[in-house]
Amino acid sequence: MRSARPLPESAPVAEWQGVRVRYPFAKRQAVGPVDMDVKRGERVLLLGASGSGKSTLLLTLTGLVPRSIPAEVDGRVSLFGDDALSRKPSEWASCVAQYFQDADQTLCGMRVEDEIAFALENFALPPDKIDRAVTDAMRQLGLPESWRKRRSTALSGGERQLVALAATLVQDAAIFVADEPTAHLAPEAAERLHGLLTAHEPDRSVLIVDHRLDGLMEAIDRVVVLGNDGSILTQGHPRTIFREQREMLISFGIWCPAASELDAALVKAGVASPIPPLSLPEALEHLDPAVASRSSIDRARPAVEAFVAAHSANRGGERHSRVVARLEQADCAPFLAPTVLRSVDVAIHEGEILGIIGPNGAGKSTLGACLSGLLELKAGRRTGAPGGIAFQRPENQFVSGSVRDELLGALPKAMTGDEKTKRISGFLETWGLEGLESRHPFELSQGQKRRLALATLTISDRWPLLILDEPIAGLDARAASVLEAQVLEFSRKGRAIAVITHDMDLALRLCFRSVVVGEGCIIADGPTEQILSDPELLKRAGLAEPSCAKAREWLLRVAMC
Amino acid sequence: MAPAGGDVLKSLNPLTKLAVCILWLAAAVLIFDPWFQCAVIVITGIVLIVLNRTSPLVILGLMVPFSLFGFGFLTTALLFRKESDFALRVAGETPFASAAFSASITLFLRAVSCGMISAFFALTTDPGAFVRALMVHCRLPPQIGYSLFTAMQLVPDLAAEAQQMRLARAMKLGRVPRRIPGPVEAFSLCVPLLAFAIRRAGRTAIAMEARGLAANAPRTVMNAPAFQERDFAFLSIAAASLTACIVAVMADRGLFPS
Repeated sequence: MRSARPLPESAPVAEWQGVRVRYPFAKRQAVGPVDMDVKRGERVLLLGASGSGKSTLLLTLTGLVPRSIPAEVDGRVSLFGDDALSRKPSEWASCVAQYFQDADQTLCGMRVEDEIAFALENFALPPDKIDRAVTDAMRQLGLPESWRKRRSTALSGGERQLVALAATLVQDAAIFVADEPTAHLAPEAAERLHGLLTAHEPDRSVLIVDHRLDGLMEAIDRVVVLGNDGSILTQGHPRTIFREQREMLISFGIWCPAASELDAALVKAGVASPIPPLSLPEALEHLDPAVASRSSIDRARPAVEAFVAAHSANRGGERHSRVVARLEQADCAPFLAPTVLRSVDVAIHEGEILGIIGPNGAGKSTLGACLSGLLELKAGRRTGAPGGIAFQRPENQFVSGSVRDELLGALPKAMTGDEKTKRISGFLETWGLEGLESRHPFELSQGQKRRLALATLTISDRWPLLILDEPIAGLDARAASVLEAQVLEFSRKGRAIAVITHDMDLALRLCFRSVVVGEGCIIADGPTEQILSDPELLKRAGLAEPSCAKAREWLLRVAMC
Repeated sequence: MAPAGGDVLKSLNPLTKLAVCILWLAAAVLIFDPWFQCAVIVITGIVLIVLNRTSPLVILGLMVPFSLFGFGFLTTALLFRKESDFALRVAGETPFASAAFSASITLFLRAVSCGMISAFFALTTDPGAFVRALMVHCRLPPQIGYSLFTAMQLVPDLAAEAQQMRLARAMKLGRVPRRIPGPVEAFSLCVPLLAFAIRRAGRTAIAMEARGLAANAPRTVMNAPAFQERDFAFLSIAAASLTACIVAVMADRGLFPS
């Protein structure tokens, strides 16, 4: 095992100088030109719209691009002062731990304990040390001991993500690189992970790409933003970036933390915090009803009320009278697998948007598939119309050789050619897929794949019931907002929609009603607002309160004063 | 600690099982006797059902491709008897009434018995443990070992991926997926599954490289199975059973002086 050579304190541990990447046969560059660095102990957040080249940039760090993934790379990538290409990617593993965007890209298909131990075995560490490190990593990420002997491929999407993270964190490398590490994690697991990634270790640098910013921002030293052309748009401290450049980030479809939204409203009202906030408590700290002036509070209240209203339950998704699909005393099981949920009673109504929430591996996707009628029940009864599912892994849905053919195949055969062309053009534009018509679906970025899967599902009026499984995982802010608008539109037209999600803000915004899945059954069914304000239930199901909860608490305190 | 009921065979060293399986496979190939083949099938089946708690239905399901393969031998041997002269001559010495039928049925049973022995190894062996045992006891280079591991995992991975694809396609067709795909559906899955296999192999190679797997570098191997007393016991019992079967066949053919 080769280690990094010692560097002066101020020298960057990783550096990109004029880096441009172009994949074979691609018409445009995937990345570049990029000039950036990461210093020792620095925690950098890389932001950008989907398809802006974030994942490619991370892959150049240890030379996986171009050594293992063919591409033309110009410029120089340095690690600890050495050219990244001066060593094989495997030789950088002791210095750089990489978590890839898809957990399946990080895992090798072994048993959980073997997956976690794999990198340490390659470092030739003594067995007792490896054993201790594996146990520690499992404990840190809250992986149950009973998982040790399970094959990683037999776990759910979120569970696999946790194992992949444990397998990467156990490397204890000087640079930790993580590409959307919380995309499929339940809130409690995401919070624990953010804590681990950002625990202040002066010698460990972190480079992270994530769309889930709340709970992460306080620990980030610098934000680097990539534009749609793969070059750097801006960079700086998160406080500065999210206050001064928020409008620009939004225009590029880049996620901003909820605190920055409230801060923008308070700036307009003239009562913003003197220091740009990174969290809701920070945004409201100077407006504590016990100490702040009445006039400041009066000016802030409409802004906070508007913020809470924008993040609160959508009344349009309230249940209507006609049931579209119903499960009665249903025992649900994945395809050709044993039962995971028992005695499920749930109905979804015309125009209703139902949230399905719960911890990783609880059986949410199985419930969604049973509700759609795609999976046969082990016991009980299902009645109602068949539903269409947007699967958690969009790749499973693609059967055609191009984006256009994929959309074409989803349209009714009776439609005329002109109508089809017009509908496809409209959907390509709506979902931000223009210019990608002739690309193979597997060549798209993760966010683009998800958008295509959603577009194929919604392009026809075939499904009175839609099941969206983690629909915003991997999407940028613009695509997520398009999705939300589409879901509301479908609801208005009377379609029933079930949204399986780990994003409590999304559940609260879209779903008037939610069911909480856990402990092998449905443990709660009721208004989302009520569910997400029940601390005991949230703890029991490994969920978290939505980001607007602190603002709502502030309004209650103001009302009491 | 003694292994639990269903874990007896899984707790054995994979290399012991490999040696036993090779021995039994060699015997199944060389001994052209229908009773011997039947004995192999029955013994392996009973061991799997009793000691590994494998469902008889699973065993029957796994034997379908081997039976089809064997059925090919059976029909070929029956239809082209002249070309099977040697087999017929050997089979003619067995108690099966018609020489042609006897040879055909022996070929069929041989395909199934080889399938049963392969299934025995696959159902009782963790691929990871097998690769680790090869790396530790046979000095197999890690890169080859993990390539072998990936290849061994491809079948269950393809099955899982095929299930997901079938679900997505069933949704598009507006019906519940059938438990067993029909020939048209199975054929239509071939190309996407091949593409998946290529993608999966590429991803695994990158994942292993990014986590430090390199050629000719020293590495620790955790949880490598060691040889224990139960391995020697299993080896002895398997060898004794095989010898007993062979002796019974020889006695049946009158190869021992009276």
